[in-house]
Amino acid sequence: MANDPILARIDELSGAFTTGQIDRRRFLKGLVGLGLTLPAINVIVAACSSAATPSQGVAGASADPALAALISAAKAEGDLYQTGIPPEWVNYQGIFDLWKQLYNIPIDGTSTEGEYSSGQELDSIKNTGKPDVGDVGISFAVQAKTQGLSAPYKNSFWADIPDTAKDADGYWCCNYWGAQSFVVNTDAVKIPINDWKDLLDPSLKNAVGIDGDPTKANDSFFAVWSAAVGNGGGVDNIQPGIDFMNQLQQAGNLTAARASDTNIISGEVKVAIKWDYLGLAVRDKAAGAPNISVTIPSSGSLASPYADIVAAKAPHPNAAKLWQELIYSDAAQLLFLKGYAHPIRFDVLNSAGKIPADLAAKLPSADLYKKVTLVTDVGKITAAQTTLGNGWKIVINS
Amino acid sequence: MSSSLTGTPVASPAAASRRGGRAALALLPFAILIGAFLLVPTVVLAWGSFHDSATGALTLGNYSYLGHPLDLVPFVNSLELSLGATFLGSVVGLLIAQAIVSSRSQLVQEIATTFSSVAANFAGVPLAFAFIATMGNSGLLTVLLRNNGVDIYGGGFKLYSVVGLIIVYAYWEIPLMVLVMLPPLRAMKASWREAAENLGASRWQYLRRVAVPILATPFISSMLLLYANAFGAYATAYGLTTGFVALVPIQISNLINGDIAYDPGQADALAVGLAVIMAVCIGGRALLERRSTRWLAR
Repeated sequence: MANDPILARIDELSGAFTTGQIDRRRFLKGLVGLGLTLPAINVIVAACSSAATPSQGVAGASADPALAALISAAKAEGDLYQTGIPPEWVNYQGIFDLWKQLYNIPIDGTSTEGEYSSGQELDSIKNTGKPDVGDVGISFAVQAKTQGLSAPYKNSFWADIPDTAKDADGYWCCNYWGAQSFVVNTDAVKIPINDWKDLLDPSLKNAVGIDGDPTKANDSFFAVWSAAVGNGGGVDNIQPGIDFMNQLQQAGNLTAARASDTNIISGEVKVAIKWDYLGLAVRDKAAGAPNISVTIPSSGSLASPYADIVAAKAPHPNAAKLWQELIYSDAAQLLFLKGYAHPIRFDVLNSAGKIPADLAAKLPSADLYKKVTLVTDVGKITAAQTTLGNGWKIVINS
Repeated sequence: MSSSLTGTPVASPAAASRRGGRAALALLPFAILIGAFLLVPTVVLAWGSFHDSATGALTLGNYSYLGHPLDLVPFVNSLELSLGATFLGSVVGLLIAQAIVSSRSQLVQEIATTFSSVAANFAGVPLAFAFIATMGNSGLLTVLLRNNGVDIYGGGFKLYSVVGLIIVYAYWEIPLMVLVMLPPLRAMKASWREAAENLGASRWQYLRRVAVPILATPFISSMLLLYANAFGAYATAYGLTTGFVALVPIQISNLINGDIAYDPGQADALAVGLAVIMAVCIGGRALLERRSTRWLAR
């Protein structure tokens, strides 16, 4: 068994620690160096600690000994190389700042690879071997696993994360998501828009828009798919969504104007169906001119997550793991929320009352998000795309 | 050879072939350009259109769109759009060009010509945005008219439709027509008219017997240019309608860029369809041009 040398080494380290030959810090460093996950380390440490003398002054001022060891190992590596994590995206800048403030480890790659698309990220991991961590679309996370580009790591918050949002073996984990929402220009639209059927109102001629060509753009693809949720379909069946869009088109309510920031602010698109985080950002950008409200359809919509991967050949594996620990922590998850991305531990934070009231006030209600379904099954995404490819022609050509 | 008849010294056969060789050499860069950017891509397109994208096997399947009404909609839309834009562009453009030629003010002529050169090249996404801001649902003109009791959208007009696109395309088609029609209009000699009048022709007879026959060929060939121009345009239409109005160039782009409908073989087949239409237009123009230059050069 490949694990045998590791087990032997754990025994050796535990023995040395319990007999006082090495101190706590070196013990933890040794365990981290074996590539164990934090929960595993915590179990080992807890088992051994009763026998050992508690050590003082663990670096990083963390209450969690395993985390402290990870911090010092990451500091020893002295660098974190990221790919595809743009600072202006979902408030990553805030998380970079938090990282530097907590650990003072430089983050590289931002200026060169920060804007990489998911496909480019995987290329970089495969071809340059530089990146430690990447932030990719869900289908690319699955692809990274099958191509052997990512390494397994289960962060300490693993239990909080829904099963659909993580790889059972730890090769990827979703960190935040966006849900399809209605972005309504309330100066121009006088009727309440709560659910899909409201979009068929005769007062909404040429008013409803989606963000691009759904056969090309992910945002509008999910808009059509989400419409299925409210019209008798769902993750398994996109067709009712296509039919609903056709109904909107026949009613003359669907506009070909793209639901871009410019077109929303100018009033060209009065009800946009698009990602909530983009809608909330354009609401803030418009700053009351016009007034914009963002809501989640009451019969539900779909959400698409982004996932984190640790590169299989990460030059700084401990820094990569520490990055995982950071982005799933309460502080960073709230920073995502501040950037209007929906953090994966939202429900946990919400029920623990950890979401500040002023932040919650800026968001659609937490109850509406309960009707949102997270789409992580790549097979279903492909199936929905195929159905759409054929069906969309009817919407635009009839 | 006409040169020997008019008394020019006859070149020795060797010198002639040397000159011919040098002339051919001078043509080489042009030949390379045409080869690399026209012939090779055309051959690659034609080749690709008869091969299955996935298996590489020889097939006619890529041309199956010819038998599906829904897949022909882009061709119908493209034809409607191009014909509409050509008609609007050529008629209005001709009238403006004639007005410029007849204008006695040098300043008016210069300003109009300069503006036409600029406007003929203003296209793509910026033009699309300019029109959204002017004639969109909440465009300046739309709102102005609505406030004065005229609701163009209520009357069924939509900027994001074939009709809307015709108006947008006319924005550069009209000045393009002005630019290409100015030289033939300027080449119309006053002496022709005077000669006709001296022989007792009325104004109508001059137009019908002299002006129209001479100008018909440059006008029709300009129309063909406008038509081909409208048929191949992509960025403006896409910027405006994000694919909601199916046009052949947009359909081709979907097939080669799209994550969903990726099928380069079928894109090649559509492009061949587009190329055939373009070739007919440009070939027709070349034929007509040969006829008209004979007259206007004199």
